[in-house]
Amino acid sequence: MSKYFSKAKVKYMFYTLTHPMDGFYEIRHRERGSVPLAVVSVILFSLVYSMNKMVASFIVNDTDPRTVDSLDNLGGVLLLYLLFCVGNWSITCLLNGEGRLKDIATALGYSLVPMTLCYVLATFVSQFVAQNEEGFYTIIITIGTAWTVLLAMSGIMIVHNYSLAKTMLTLVLTIIAMLIIVFIVMMLSDLVNQVYGFIYSIYTEILFRN
Amino acid sequence: MKNMKSKAKLWKKIMLAVLSVCLLTPEVAVRADSTVPYDSYNYDYWEDIVFTPAPYIPDTSVSGTTIGVGSFLSPQDLCVSPGGNIYIADTGNHRIVEVDSKLSSAVREINGFVRDGVQEKFNQPNGVCVSQNGQIYIADSENHRIVVLEESDLSFVKIIENPEADVLPENFLFVPLKITVDYADRVYCIAKNMFQGIMVFEQDEFTGFFGTIEVNVSVWDKIWRKLSTKAQRSKQLLFIPTEFTGIDIDQKGFVYASNVDTWGKQAVRCLNPKGQDVIRKGENGNVGGDLVTSGTSDYSGVSRIVDVVYRDKGIYSLLDSRRGRIFTYDHEGNLLYIFGGLGTQAGTFTTPVAIEAVGDKVIVLDSYRKELLVFKETPYGRLINEAVGLRYDGDETLAVDMWKQVLMLDENNELANVGIGKAYLTAGDNERAMKYLKLGMSRQYYSVAYRRYRNEFLKEYLGYILTGLLAVIVAVVFVLKYRKKKKGVYEEEGGAFDV
Repeated sequence: MSKYFSKAKVKYMFYTLTHPMDGFYEIRHRERGSVPLAVVSVILFSLVYSMNKMVASFIVNDTDPRTVDSLDNLGGVLLLYLLFCVGNWSITCLLNGEGRLKDIATALGYSLVPMTLCYVLATFVSQFVAQNEEGFYTIIITIGTAWTVLLAMSGIMIVHNYSLAKTMLTLVLTIIAMLIIVFIVMMLSDLVNQVYGFIYSIYTEILFRN
Repeated sequence: MKNMKSKAKLWKKIMLAVLSVCLLTPEVAVRADSTVPYDSYNYDYWEDIVFTPAPYIPDTSVSGTTIGVGSFLSPQDLCVSPGGNIYIADTGNHRIVEVDSKLSSAVREINGFVRDGVQEKFNQPNGVCVSQNGQIYIADSENHRIVVLEESDLSFVKIIENPEADVLPENFLFVPLKITVDYADRVYCIAKNMFQGIMVFEQDEFTGFFGTIEVNVSVWDKIWRKLSTKAQRSKQLLFIPTEFTGIDIDQKGFVYASNVDTWGKQAVRCLNPKGQDVIRKGENGNVGGDLVTSGTSDYSGVSRIVDVVYRDKGIYSLLDSRRGRIFTYDHEGNLLYIFGGLGTQAGTFTTPVAIEAVGDKVIVLDSYRKELLVFKETPYGRLINEAVGLRYDGDETLAVDMWKQVLMLDENNELANVGIGKAYLTAGDNERAMKYLKLGMSRQYYSVAYRRYRNEFLKEYLGYILTGLLAVIVAVVFVLKYRKKKKGVYEEEGGAFDV
């Protein structure tokens, strides 16, 4: 456990936020990243996101607090994270990407940290803004999102040793791959359901025969 | 055998006793509105349905026989004269019936009039209106004319017929349906198959159209039309403006006209004397009846507003024939309350066609049931009406008491919360104002209250806050210095931080 969450690893995560080029390179080549830490970061992000929807001030928040389900959000975010990692991994495997699945997961999880922090800050700031001052709130959110996007992009670029153009291409392909995965999973679950239904009807048939 | 028979008899007796006790004892726990045959509800900020106490409850129903003129036949319109009497256009019987303001008995029955010594009759009069100057205007539909009679003695005044203008198509057949008259005796008339707008007559002359509804063709429609062939296009529906369905006028001469809106966004227009629509829409930008309209049955779909009545102090009500609801809005377009429903019970409609308001009562004309259904105000409805009226007059502080009573009956009433919040805001109690304005989901006023509260807070505590901040900064600086020193020592000892 301490191997994954050691002080050094946590420190290195924050080092990566400000030095993405070196940071992600060493994550790929010198094992300085930690997948569990990245997953924790994703979980934290989803919690902070739900919190923002629930307690951000009435002025900036147009969500009905009763409709926010933090467990739902957690499931959604984790699923999306998993989908993206797997999708990206399957595409980059075919396109000479150097990154392993754990590198992709780490890079993506780490790059969510600025967004998490900015959401916390924005939620706090939102308590003190009136109308026409929502700008403060939105700018914080925007900065956090932009930072995260840049980090994720550079993370994937460096981990796979890609050029920027190739990164863009793989990102588009990743989204397509994600859709294909979703489609296959849905189809598979439907088929399994049908097989189950078939077996179950045979079972009831046998049950009622005697 | 005999024993059994007597046993059965005994049982029968017991059952009878129990039954009679059940029937004779009045029910104990009855909900206040359980006698009302419809749900009263409203939409909250999230556009969810919230049920409210009934603002109006069924009072009586009045048919032709109860007022002594024989049954109505497909009556189509209803109007209140300045004197308070009610005129009914009894279309199928070719007559106009005047009823006293208490709806107890008919005052007179107008079957025709005498023009130049000749007795003339009506043919399917669809609309009736009494002007402020005491003249009855009758839309004599199948005779293609508007007949004007003196209210006092029914003497013939004039006839408006055969409107002529370049804008009218040739061989245009004038079939007036609904009419209203303003203080200057201008006649506003909704005519059959007249999509250009409301026809306006001044001094018997047709002067033009009024309040034309623009057709909006969506991009999708345009693309679809471009793609289809000529033969297909000829079979498609024409893009024509929606029709007006009902009309009313306020004291200042603003015409309220209801129309069919396929999108359910705006089913009523408030037309200023220039014919421009000056209606105000509320928070959700909707004056079209129901907001929740999904479904595929006959009962679902957007509200079909068939008539509008301007009541008082900017309040107007719309009558929906699809679900038999009556929607009441204030001058700002806030939905105040909804009541009414379709059905066959007393107090429900089959085919509502016209609505009017007299004092604290709302009267709806049902053409299939040949009845007038009268609804009377409950304390809840009265409080809302009065509070909105006071706000219309600018006496928001006076309205607070009413709003507080409304909250006792309907805790989540957003209008009431906003009303109270605004009053606290004017009184300078910003903290309370914030609480109520937030409950009323009024971002704008909440923000004003919050800003004032924040300024007050800062004025009082800024000194402490800044001092505290300074202390924290100093502490941090000291701690950092101390740690650096310690770290320096640590590094000198050869334990350099290396990961």
